[in-house]
Amino acid sequence: MRSRAAAVLLAALATAFAWLLLRAESQGAIAALIALAVLAGFALLRTRLLDAFTRAALRDERLAQWLAFAAVAVLALLLPEDDFSLLLLTRVLIVIVACLGLNVQLGYAGVVNFAGASFFGVGGYTAAVLSRATGLPHLLLLLAGGVTAALAGTVLLLPILRTRGHYAALITIAFALLFRTFLEVNDSLGGPQGLKLPELRIGPIRFNDPVAAGPLEGSFYLKYVVLALLVLAFFFAVVQRLERSWIGLALDAVRIDETAAATFGLDIARWKIAAFVIGNFVIGVAGALSAFMIGFIAPNNYSFAESLILVSILLLGGVGNPWGLSLAAAIVILLPEKLQIIQEYRFLMFASMVVLILLFRPAGLVPRPMRRLPGTPR
Amino acid sequence: MRRAAAALIATLSFSAAAKDTVRIAFVGPLTGGNSAIGLGGRNSSDLAVRLRNADAKAKYQYELVVLDDECKPDAGVQMATKAGSDRGIVGGVTHYCSVVAMATVDTYHRFGLPAIVWGAVLPDITYAHDFKEIHRVNGTMINQNETNAVFINQHGFTKVAVIHDTTDYGKGHNKYFTRFFQQGGGQIVATFGVTADQQDFTAELTQIKAQNPQAIYFGGLTPIGVRIRAQMDKLGFKAQFDGTSGIVNDDFIKALGPLAEGTLAFREGAPAEKLPGGKQFLADYDKQGYSNPPEAYGPFAYAAAVLLMDAIEKVGPDRKKIIAELANVKDRDSIVGKITFDDHGQNTVPAITKYVVQDGKWLTWEESEYASGKRKLTNVR
Amino acid sequence: MPAEVIAQYAMNGAMLGMMYALVAVGFTLFFGVLDVIQFSHGDVVAAGAFAGLAAWTLLTSAGVTSPGLLLLAVIGSAALVTAALGALVARFIVLPVKSAPQLNVLLVTLMGGTVLRECIRLFYPGGSQPKLFPALLPATGWSFGTFLLRFDNVILLVSGALLIAATHLLITRTRLGLAIRAVAQDEETARTMGIDFRKVVLVTFALGSVLAAFAGVMDGLYYNEVFFGMGLLLGVIGFAAAVLGGLGNLYGAIVGGFLFAALQTIGAVALPFASAYKDVFAFGVVIILMAIRPTGLIGERASERV
Repeated sequence: MRSRAAAVLLAALATAFAWLLLRAESQGAIAALIALAVLAGFALLRTRLLDAFTRAALRDERLAQWLAFAAVAVLALLLPEDDFSLLLLTRVLIVIVACLGLNVQLGYAGVVNFAGASFFGVGGYTAAVLSRATGLPHLLLLLAGGVTAALAGTVLLLPILRTRGHYAALITIAFALLFRTFLEVNDSLGGPQGLKLPELRIGPIRFNDPVAAGPLEGSFYLKYVVLALLVLAFFFAVVQRLERSWIGLALDAVRIDETAAATFGLDIARWKIAAFVIGNFVIGVAGALSAFMIGFIAPNNYSFAESLILVSILLLGGVGNPWGLSLAAAIVILLPEKLQIIQEYRFLMFASMVVLILLFRPAGLVPRPMRRLPGTPR
Repeated sequence: MRRAAAALIATLSFSAAAKDTVRIAFVGPLTGGNSAIGLGGRNSSDLAVRLRNADAKAKYQYELVVLDDECKPDAGVQMATKAGSDRGIVGGVTHYCSVVAMATVDTYHRFGLPAIVWGAVLPDITYAHDFKEIHRVNGTMINQNETNAVFINQHGFTKVAVIHDTTDYGKGHNKYFTRFFQQGGGQIVATFGVTADQQDFTAELTQIKAQNPQAIYFGGLTPIGVRIRAQMDKLGFKAQFDGTSGIVNDDFIKALGPLAEGTLAFREGAPAEKLPGGKQFLADYDKQGYSNPPEAYGPFAYAAAVLLMDAIEKVGPDRKKIIAELANVKDRDSIVGKITFDDHGQNTVPAITKYVVQDGKWLTWEESEYASGKRKLTNVR
Repeated sequence: MPAEVIAQYAMNGAMLGMMYALVAVGFTLFFGVLDVIQFSHGDVVAAGAFAGLAAWTLLTSAGVTSPGLLLLAVIGSAALVTAALGALVARFIVLPVKSAPQLNVLLVTLMGGTVLRECIRLFYPGGSQPKLFPALLPATGWSFGTFLLRFDNVILLVSGALLIAATHLLITRTRLGLAIRAVAQDEETARTMGIDFRKVVLVTFALGSVLAAFAGVMDGLYYNEVFFGMGLLLGVIGFAAAVLGGLGNLYGAIVGGFLFAALQTIGAVALPFASAYKDVFAFGVVIILMAIRPTGLIGERASERV
């Protein structure tokens, strides 16, 4: 009962805070809200309340998922006319989806991927090229984005399987740099000028028309929020089921000790391939969705720096924990936006904050809880 | 709720002024590799707003909302949405990077926000659609390169090698320059695309040197322009350096020192100091003590902001009326020359100024000793 | 292709390779003692170049004109600033997260590098635009047909090589080097033998960063221009070179640096596609080489003990 109350309270507080932050415009209000969050976070960390609180809240994970779902829906309904906030909200949701994919690779199987934005871009470019050239239904194109990203990733499978640690990191870094340059130099995919996408349509729904359903009127971004939320809910559930299942156990074993895993008969290569391919698929779907929402893609969006942002979200949140990365994604997307008021200094500020968080909380904001196997004491 | 808060802030900060506050947006790259030009544009727009606010005759008090598009389309669309969805913002001075300007066209149209592009040069930004919201004070790269190609041809440079960056800016310049230069009978001996963060060009330059061209046409911005010119010297490669609007700034000369001498470049609009108000602009800019110079496109950002505020003064802070008013802009004096918008919102006065570096200064070709024959461009026979 | 042109390419590639090697040696030294990647290293290079430039600006405005004195001041101030930076990064950013996963260190140093880069851009006067770096070395040279062998390039190459050789001697022949190698082999044992672990780490980071300072000044003298973002690509390429050669191996870093420069040069001039693809080519080859030699070209043989 206590855990439920904790969960509801946490969700309500988070929603209220997000609402305030999204609506805050003035320098003073934003500074006050950020200071409040930092202070609260610091106090909670010092007293270890945060860990206890989140543990309690996440004890009933199904409830937590529903609450999170509801919180986003409530948030969207509180801001039906505010296009910009809804756009930000959608972006947070999409980035969470991409990070879930990365989490399967890095968090579960321990496969490093510094080219997340590249696979995000493969998904986006697939959606752009196919929607311009063919009349395929757009829902199918979202899937196609995922499939192409997964396929593109197979080029790297051999080198990734053979290398470890920093050596594996270099392979994906090289790929990220190569991919961006290739997009820019090569004119067949729009080159540096990028590509424009048509309006997203699923069945009779046209995503760029404002919402006018009975009493509910609002921004067309409401539709994107709903779609992104559905996609996120789906992948969130899938990733969590994956973690809970024997597949998750196998991936954990592969990550923690390859040699030991191999002696227990696990096929290391197969599990790493599975994680890498699944992860890239998820990232690709997110990329396709993002391309449709922005309506325009260009190489600048898929640089190595963007890949780093995805990895930092994972580390900030706590590698392996979908809840942690969701929180981190919200921070990493919203904070720089709200820091627009300090103009050219905002990137400096942002980088300093990431350094500080990682120094004081090396395991991330919400570290992944220990796996509790049946029979172990609580 | 927000309106109440905004009103509160407005009364707090401007309680002395009895005028209504009107907000306009500035969008440009404030972080990353293009930030120098973005900051120059930001400061110039800011200057326009400050001067207007100091003017007792102005009907409104103006507030500049500054947004950073990072030169990335997704960030640009976000910022355009922010400006567009905020009903308190009635117009924008928008974008230096062409790819961002392209990406945001739909957004401004959707929200009906009048936008005046201050630096992006891709022709499609104004010509690929019929949206009434989009205007541009600077010329497109077409005019610039036509003048450039003709000039180069006339001055006896018939064999030219092209280096351009692989961004939309460099690729577009390459396309139009090559077209006009070949139409004039010139020969392009080699074309090299280079990435915008590349530092070493010796491999490309060695290859070009072997082809022995008389001039190098460079389509790109100051940072790599400086590197290429400096590395030409390291290789003992003497050819005329011919650039685009992207290098017409003091930093190009400061970073090259004496090597900059004789560099050619072309830019739309007359030079600020030659125009009514231009000298005043430079003096006012200095007075504000900004830490960055206005750069090549600062005067355009200034002119765009002035144009926008003039429209607001005339018809009031109403987006639709402002768009209608901007459509009437014709032969308007500004610090970048006369401004006339065609039916696509494009400024049609294709006054291209030819520049040459002489003794550490960008001079117009006509007033330089190169034109009078006292000095000679490299390789002119 | 005429011999002069080939000689010119070789010279261009050698200059690049030397800069990459200097940066890569830093990466490999840091990895040796702490098993971490110090990713702000590229930005330390930029900081070195700007520190040198600042010294030059101050001295020339104070009326000093002797190129020798100026050069000394430029190198000295670059070395001092980077040594301090390297030690600070080690003390306050790397050591505190040493026991966290490898990836954390990589990210925290990357972000630290971003802070450094943004500081140069925002707080160095006019830092957001490229800055002129003075030519302090003789600008003449020997001409062989169209090939110009410049004295300044030769001086830079030779001093770079000497610097790396000196580092090698320091590591293999001195007590300090012994301590560094001991820490690299086994931190615990080194501690029990009475080696001040923290001091060794700080000194190693300072040492590697001084090499970076030289790379930065060399970059400035060679290109006569420095830019706040110059460390970004230099850092990634230095890292690639160090990994390609085999982390923790001094020779590997040198081989990796020159190999990468060679790949870029070949990609730009000898292959049948546009030169803009040269980085695509170079990084593509790196990926392939890593697949063939997963622990680098001169890497340690990894053996699995079960």
